[in-house]
Amino acid sequence: MIAIDSYAYNNNLKAVHPAEKSLFAMLTMVVCLTSKTTITPLVILAIMSGGIILKAGIPARVLIKLLAIPLSFLLISVLTIAFSLSSDPSGFLLAHRINSLTIGIRYSDLITAVNLFLRSIGAVSCLYFLALTTPLTELITVLHRLKVPFIITELMVLIYRFIFVFLDTATTIRRAQLSRSGYVSMKSSFRSMSRLFSALLGKVFLKSQDLYNTMASRCYTGEIRVHTKKHPVNLKNYGIIIGLEIPLILLNLLWR
Amino acid sequence: MSELILEAVDLEYSYPDGTSALRKVNLQVRKGEKLAILGSNGAGKSTLFMHFNGIYSPSSGTIKFQGQAISYKKKPLIELRKKVGIVFQDPDSQLFSASVWQDISFGPLNLGLSEEEVTKRVRQALTDTETSELEGKPTHLLSYGQKKRVSIAGVLAMEPEIIIFDEPTAGMDPRHSQEFMLLLDKLSSEGKTIVLSTHDVDLAYSWSDRLAIMYRGEIIAHGLPGDLLTRPEIVKRADLTIPWLIEAHSELVKKGWLPASAPLPKTKDQLFQNIPLKKGQQSA
Repeated sequence: MIAIDSYAYNNNLKAVHPAEKSLFAMLTMVVCLTSKTTITPLVILAIMSGGIILKAGIPARVLIKLLAIPLSFLLISVLTIAFSLSSDPSGFLLAHRINSLTIGIRYSDLITAVNLFLRSIGAVSCLYFLALTTPLTELITVLHRLKVPFIITELMVLIYRFIFVFLDTATTIRRAQLSRSGYVSMKSSFRSMSRLFSALLGKVFLKSQDLYNTMASRCYTGEIRVHTKKHPVNLKNYGIIIGLEIPLILLNLLWR
Repeated sequence: MSELILEAVDLEYSYPDGTSALRKVNLQVRKGEKLAILGSNGAGKSTLFMHFNGIYSPSSGTIKFQGQAISYKKKPLIELRKKVGIVFQDPDSQLFSASVWQDISFGPLNLGLSEEEVTKRVRQALTDTETSELEGKPTHLLSYGQKKRVSIAGVLAMEPEIIIFDEPTAGMDPRHSQEFMLLLDKLSSEGKTIVLSTHDVDLAYSWSDRLAIMYRGEIIAHGLPGDLLTRPEIVKRADLTIPWLIEAHSELVKKGWLPASAPLPKTKDQLFQNIPLKKGQQSA
């Protein structure tokens, strides 16, 4: 997560308008998820990987690692779809009979499973494209434009900021515990861990009080308003988006 | 003497758990001055500051701004906070926004300024604190010293009349703390009133026009830095030390290198200037 975040701030597509990147990623994702063919998701995966690696300049091994994360979940769910259990032995591509039951893979299920797998990976690659090229702060401004209620975007800002504050605090406490042999045995690990959590809880309250005080002293009146730097709108990018989406949609419709 | 701008009158404050943090604190801040509040850890400096823009309200006593006791109603508090800015000690509790630019813009936007004015002020604050190259960075990727400078920029951009700094140089490297002192001089020459707390006696001595020494929630002395910090009984009582400039000066006087009438140096350069050339030595 931290890696994704730091790439979002340091990539070659950082200067591109966040709305353009969001539109591209979201549109492509919709095309990918509604696709009935196997070719579209593959093309999308290729486009997105190309965008991430070649355009944004993010190392390929990072992307591969990231794509591997959802793979385990995906494999489990895909396998449950591909395999079926039935008392009727006909129509199986691969089968194994146990008494009167047949366990195996049906051809149509296999197609569904492969489709689902590819669609999911394709959609995930769209999300990664967005996450790796666009800082969350900029995504929030896009949400603002889309008239998402203030309360949600404000919470996003604060939660995002505090994830890092807490990670820092937890790391510091854990390091202090480690340096005093806090995790040498099972027993001491449990004790240290519980103290770490209770210390964090205490800090949550202190930090939130501090934050309120500091914000109040900067004239906070109950609405967080911040100024965002404007990004140049690039019509060429919209052209590229249209130029990529239309063939993909056509591919979806025509390739049967 | 210039007019009083901010004043604490018989201020008392106890934390909810009953520990008393401030006891009968009386302090005057004059317009345009450089006031340093010296005190060891836990002397009550930060608690006092929280009263100066109405974050804490006192158990008894009052805070007066331009002669008027401050009101704790919403509107007047906002007005007060426009004029009295505080830079807190821990930058992590002050920076709430994920990006540097956004965080600095928070204060000025709350003042209801126009977009262009906000942009102008944010840019100026970035320049003043040498953080321009950080503007697009997320706050969590900054070093402590950088966070500190960004939190200072966040208050500068609001252009308050009085700026209160709570331990501003703690955690800054020597170069940046020197730059920071230059920035303070610049602000001061623009007519801003500056209050800072520190336990760095050398810094407080050289920088301030006036000094207040706090110890366990009380102001045990206030006056000119040269008068207070030469008195060992006060300095010792407050768990502080005598600035090295004063020590060096008095040692030179004691050993006869300087006449007893020599003025107390305020800076290192003044001290060196006071020291006369040895007889027969050519000036470099």
